[in-house]
Amino acid sequence: MSELILRGRAWVYPDNVAIDGDLMALEWALKRETRPEVLKEHVFVGLDPEFPKRAQPGDIVVGGRRFAQGNAHIQGMIGLKGCGVGLVAESVPIGSFRNALAAGLPVLPRCPGVRAMFANAEEIEVDFVAARVRNLSRGTEATFPPLADHLVAMLRAGGWGPMFRRRLDAMTNA
Amino acid sequence: MSGGQTIAEKILSRICGRRVRAGEIVMPEAELITVHDWYTVNAFRTLEEFGVTRLHDASRVLLVTDHEPLAVSPQAFARQQAVRVIAQRFGVAHRDAGRGGLGHVFPIEEGIVVPGMFVFSYDPHVTNYGAIGVLGVAVLTEIPEVLACGSAWLQVPETLRVELTGQLPFGVFARDAAQKLIGAHDAALFEDAVVEFGGPGLAALSIDARQTFCNTPVELGAVSSVVEPDARCMAYVKARAQRPMHPVLPDQDATYRARIMLDLSAIAPQVALPPTPDNVVDVTEVVGRPIGHAFIGSCASGMLEDLRVAAAVLRGRQVAPGVRLIVTPATQQVAADAAAEGLIEVFMRAGAMVTAPGCGVCAGGRIGGVAPGEVSIGTGTRNEPGRLGAHEAVLHIAGPATVAASAVLGSIADPRPFLREAAWGMAA
Repeated sequence: MSELILRGRAWVYPDNVAIDGDLMALEWALKRETRPEVLKEHVFVGLDPEFPKRAQPGDIVVGGRRFAQGNAHIQGMIGLKGCGVGLVAESVPIGSFRNALAAGLPVLPRCPGVRAMFANAEEIEVDFVAARVRNLSRGTEATFPPLADHLVAMLRAGGWGPMFRRRLDAMTNA
Repeated sequence: MSGGQTIAEKILSRICGRRVRAGEIVMPEAELITVHDWYTVNAFRTLEEFGVTRLHDASRVLLVTDHEPLAVSPQAFARQQAVRVIAQRFGVAHRDAGRGGLGHVFPIEEGIVVPGMFVFSYDPHVTNYGAIGVLGVAVLTEIPEVLACGSAWLQVPETLRVELTGQLPFGVFARDAAQKLIGAHDAALFEDAVVEFGGPGLAALSIDARQTFCNTPVELGAVSSVVEPDARCMAYVKARAQRPMHPVLPDQDATYRARIMLDLSAIAPQVALPPTPDNVVDVTEVVGRPIGHAFIGSCASGMLEDLRVAAAVLRGRQVAPGVRLIVTPATQQVAADAAAEGLIEVFMRAGAMVTAPGCGVCAGGRIGGVAPGEVSIGTGTRNEPGRLGAHEAVLHIAGPATVAASAVLGSIADPRPFLREAAWGMAA
């Protein structure tokens, strides 16, 4: 299976999940902590503290509208990446979408209707390149607007850091 | 597809050297890159980790010390020193403490930014530049890439058109209208969009007021804001521009996400209640709620006009016992003008504190913040829990007149009776 197809359980959350507080305590942003192995232990601290213990690699967070809204700190996205999960949502504000890509977190930020497709813990499969979301428990699927090529390349590279490294190398070799 | 272009599409088309449309992913080169004092060290440490020793174009970079101009801890002393060393080593402009003030405001005053420019910044409120037809966009994690390579990816944003009509009533100001705008509509309308202001109500609005309008939509997830550069704007800019301008207006047949109207004449003084800036009510609904902390300043409302109206309310009056009022002029220029007009004297005699130009209390509440259980009203940009210090404090946002009146009464107050008594706006 391609690294950009994930299969696991759906974790369904409501609208307006806040980046600070719900998804990750602000203190980690103020400390400028960026290690996935540290931050993965603190994902959803305000909303669903059991998440880090129970989520498995391949699981998918199914967000509502304005998932990760607020002051766009990257720590929550790095934490999700550390858990090995993916993210699809009705909408993700641009600052958090940029951060998700930068963290290398597989993400589909514009999936209107996706939350109604799932109940918690149903089997889900997401192809992040084709932007196809399947509910394997119900046998339903939907496709959404795909990510632009440059953004898929960023996910394949593993996020912003590896992309930046490539760009610098290309400049040096030019 | 044919169809005209918005201001944002036109600016990005010029930068990209080809016609671009909303939705495309582009790599636009910024003509100016600003980074503030609380992130400069981090950004350049990342560059060091990646082995970058030269910037793409050091002449386009502006470091601004505005979040903590008056360093208040040993860590902050060291941080300021580190920023100075970085500026020297990389040969970039640095507006240090006392040499500019708020980085979203002084570049407008000084003509460092001019209509039609494209700017990347490590700070969301770079959208202020839209007041003179500049497209300013925040880039956070990827700012080292912008410094090293000149650009970072950007999805050409859709545009939300806001037609301003009517005139603000007596005792109602730009901040009230800006809060009303973001409170009256679903966030989905603003999300990821550029907010483009125009319409017959625009001409009466000053450049200060336009900065306020451009400042608030980012709280609902807007990418940026931009005002049509009209005759008033061009007259202001021509007197100070430091570089060639490329002012653009939208095409008549530009494609917008939506068009909405904002009738300025129908607005009353607004107060945003916790926990978000769009949670606004008319001041009359919350009059009388006790407050202990008040702040006038920030990139939303720290301009000369804001200080003038606050001083009109405070002149000859006293801040209520048990209330502390902190006034932070946005820039050195604003502070100097306020002093020349006697506004600073009014604040001092009223029992307020006037602090070093910059972001003031709004920069995360590390300076002059609030303790658990305290109630604040201020003109800062945001009011989520913890923004001004303690997580358990209660934060309101309002315009400078409302904040000043509330500081005098010790409880949330309607500023209009104060302004009537002060004969505000009457010919001198």
